[in-house]
Amino acid sequence: MKHIIKRTFTLLLALVLFLLSFPVQAGAVPYDSYNYDYWENVVQTPAPYVPDSVISGISLDIGAFSKPQDICVAPDGDLYIADTGNNRIVVVEENTLEVVRVIDSFDNSGAEDTFNAPTGVCVSENNQLYIADRENKRIVVLELDGTLVKIVENPQSDVLGDNFVFKPLKVSVDYADRIYCIAQNMFQGIMVFETEGQFSGFFGTINVNLSLWEKFWKKVATKEERENQTLYIATEFTGMDIDEDGFVYATNIDETGEQGVRRLNPRGEDVIKKGRNEHVGGDLWSGGSGAYAGPSQITDVVYRGHGIYSLLDRKRGRVFTYDHEGNLLYIFGGLGTQAGTFNTPSAIEQWNNQLLVLDATRNEIYCFAPTEYGSLINEAVALRHDGDEALAVELWQRVLELDENNELANTGIGKAYLSAGDNEMAMKYLKLGMNRDYYSVAFKRYRSEILRRYLGQVLTGAVVITAGIWVFLKIRERKEYSREGGSGK
Amino acid sequence: MKKYFSREKWQYLLYTMSHPVDGFYWIRHQDRGSVPIAILLVIGFSLCFSLNRIGANFIVNDVEPTTVDSLEELSGVLLLYALLCVSNWSITCLMNGEGRMKDIAIAIGYGCAPLIPVFLLATAMSHVITEEEAAFYTLIIGVGIAYAVALMLIGIMQVHNYTLGRTLLTLLLTFVAILIIIFVGLLLADLIGQVYNFLRSLYTEIIFRM
Repeated sequence: MKHIIKRTFTLLLALVLFLLSFPVQAGAVPYDSYNYDYWENVVQTPAPYVPDSVISGISLDIGAFSKPQDICVAPDGDLYIADTGNNRIVVVEENTLEVVRVIDSFDNSGAEDTFNAPTGVCVSENNQLYIADRENKRIVVLELDGTLVKIVENPQSDVLGDNFVFKPLKVSVDYADRIYCIAQNMFQGIMVFETEGQFSGFFGTINVNLSLWEKFWKKVATKEERENQTLYIATEFTGMDIDEDGFVYATNIDETGEQGVRRLNPRGEDVIKKGRNEHVGGDLWSGGSGAYAGPSQITDVVYRGHGIYSLLDRKRGRVFTYDHEGNLLYIFGGLGTQAGTFNTPSAIEQWNNQLLVLDATRNEIYCFAPTEYGSLINEAVALRHDGDEALAVELWQRVLELDENNELANTGIGKAYLSAGDNEMAMKYLKLGMNRDYYSVAFKRYRSEILRRYLGQVLTGAVVITAGIWVFLKIRERKEYSREGGSGK
Repeated sequence: MKKYFSREKWQYLLYTMSHPVDGFYWIRHQDRGSVPIAILLVIGFSLCFSLNRIGANFIVNDVEPTTVDSLEELSGVLLLYALLCVSNWSITCLMNGEGRMKDIAIAIGYGCAPLIPVFLLATAMSHVITEEEAAFYTLIIGVGIAYAVALMLIGIMQVHNYTLGRTLLTLLLTFVAILIIIFVGLLLADLIGQVYNFLRSLYTEIIFRM
C-alpha cells in the first residue's frame, strides 16, 4: 500500500514538472488575432502586431492629455496630436520621441488667438498645419512654425440651411490644398473647401437605402406614427485619410456593418473594392447580446501605402487591415484595461512602420510594432500591389510557415506557379487558397495539356477498337451465313 | 423479398422513367410497382444529394463540406417523404382519388429516381469543369430536378386518375396538410412535455415531503 502511494506521488510530481516545463504562451498578447476563412469561419492567426510603447502627456513631460481626438503624421515625420481638452496641438519628434513644440496660441493679425476644443489635425504635403477648431467653429491653417496662413469659417451657400452652425470635427487636405472637412450634424457628406477657403460643395454623400419592407411600412404608417418613427437619415462620416493619388478614404458607422469605409474618387464616387465577401466593415459575425454585440463601428482609417489601409473599430477595439482588393489581411486589438488594449479608440495612424492608436479616455497613444508575420504580409501585399508578384512568393512561403492555412499566401504562391507554367502545383495551391477564378484558369490549362498529351492515343485506341468490332461482327455474320448455308437450304 | 425486388420490377422502373403516363397507370391497376424499391430510391436520392454537397468541387460548391451530415439529411428526406405520402393520401381520400397509400409512395419514390444519376454525374463533372463552364453543371441539375418534378406530378395524376388542374389543387392542399401535421405534432410534443414536467415536479415535491 505504502509503495503504491509513493509511486503515485512520484508520478504526479513528474506530471507537474512536465507541465511546468512548457512556456506560458497565453497572455503574451492581450488580444486575439484572427481572420475569416473562405467559409467565413473565425480562424486564429499569429499576432500581426504586438504592443510596443505608450506615448502619453506624462511620458512627454507636458502634463496629461485631455480627451485627445486626433493624431496626424507630417511628411517630415513629426507626430501631431490634437489634445482637445487642453486646447493645444502637441508635436512629437520622430526618432527621439520628444516634444518639439506645443502650439496653444497663434498670432491672428496682431492679437493672440487660442483654440477651443481642436478635434482634428492634419498636415498637408506643402507643410501647412490644418486644425479643426470645433468650438470656435473654424478651421485654422498655420505654417509649421505657428504663423497664421488663413482661417476658414462661416461657410456660405444655398445648400446649407439658415441655422447651420459650422462645427468641424475632422479635417484632411489633398495635394492641391483642397480641404475636406467632416462637420458635426452634417449628413450630406464631407464638406469641401477650395484652396482660398470658400465652400465648394459636398463630397461622397452616403445614400440612404430603404429596404422594400421599410418602404412598405412607411406607406402604411399614419402621419402621427411616422413622426414617432426614427428618421431615415444617412450616417455621418467619422474619419478620413487621403492616399497619394488624392482618393479619400472615409469611414462611417454603418448600421448593417457591411461597409465601414468608402474610397472616394475626385468626383466623390465610391470606388472601393469589397473583396470576396462584399464586406469592408470589420467583423463578419457580431452576434450575441449586450454592449459588446452588434456590427463594428469604424471610427477612423489610415492609408498605409501600396493599397493597404487599416480601419479602427471602436465597438470591440479592433484594427482591421485590408488590401486594395478588399481582402482582409489581419485583425488584432481589443477592449480592456491591460497595456495594449483600448477603452475609447478614436484615431489611428502609421508612424515609423508602427501603428498608433489614440485612446480618448485613457489619454494615451498605444504603439504597435509589426511581428515577423505582420511585416511579411505587408511586404508581400505591397509587392503584389506594385506588380512584382514573383518576388512575393518567397515571402508568402515564410507566411505559410507561420500560418499554414493562410489563403492569401496560398493564392499568392499558386499564382506564381501559374505564371511559371506549373499548372499542377498552381492548382494545388489555388485550391488551398480557395480562389475559384485562378484555379479555373490553372485547371483549364492543365486539362488542355492532358488532352493534348493523350488525345493521339485515345483516338488511335478508338479506331483500333472500332475496327476490331467491325471485323468481329463480319466474321460472325459469315459464320452464321455459312452455317445456314450448311443446313441445306 | 423476391417479389419486391424481382427483375421485372426493376425493368418496369426503367419503363416508367421513359413512359410515365402509361407506367404509373399500370402501377395503379396491375401492381407493377414496388414500395421497397421506391423507398430505396428515396434513400439513394438522399445519399447522392449529400454526396454532391460534400464531394462537388469547390468551384461550384457553396457548401462547407464539414457541415454536411448525410445521416441527418437522410432522416430529413425520409421524414419529408413520409409526410408527403401521408398528407397526399389524406387529401386525395377526400377528393375521389383512386390511388392507395402504396401507389402514392411509389409515385413519389420513383419520381426521385432520375435525381440519383443526375447528382452522381454532376458531382463527377464538377471536377472536370472550370468556372466558366459551371453553367453546364447548373443546367444538368436543373434538368434533373425538372424531370423528377414532372415524374412525380404525372405519377400522382395517374394513380389518382386526376386531371392536371385537380392534381395541382390537391398538391396545394397537400402542402397545407403537411403544415397542419407539423403543427399538431409540435403541439403534441409540447403538451407531452408539459405533462412530463408536471409529473416530474409532483414527484420531486413528494420526495421532498417524505
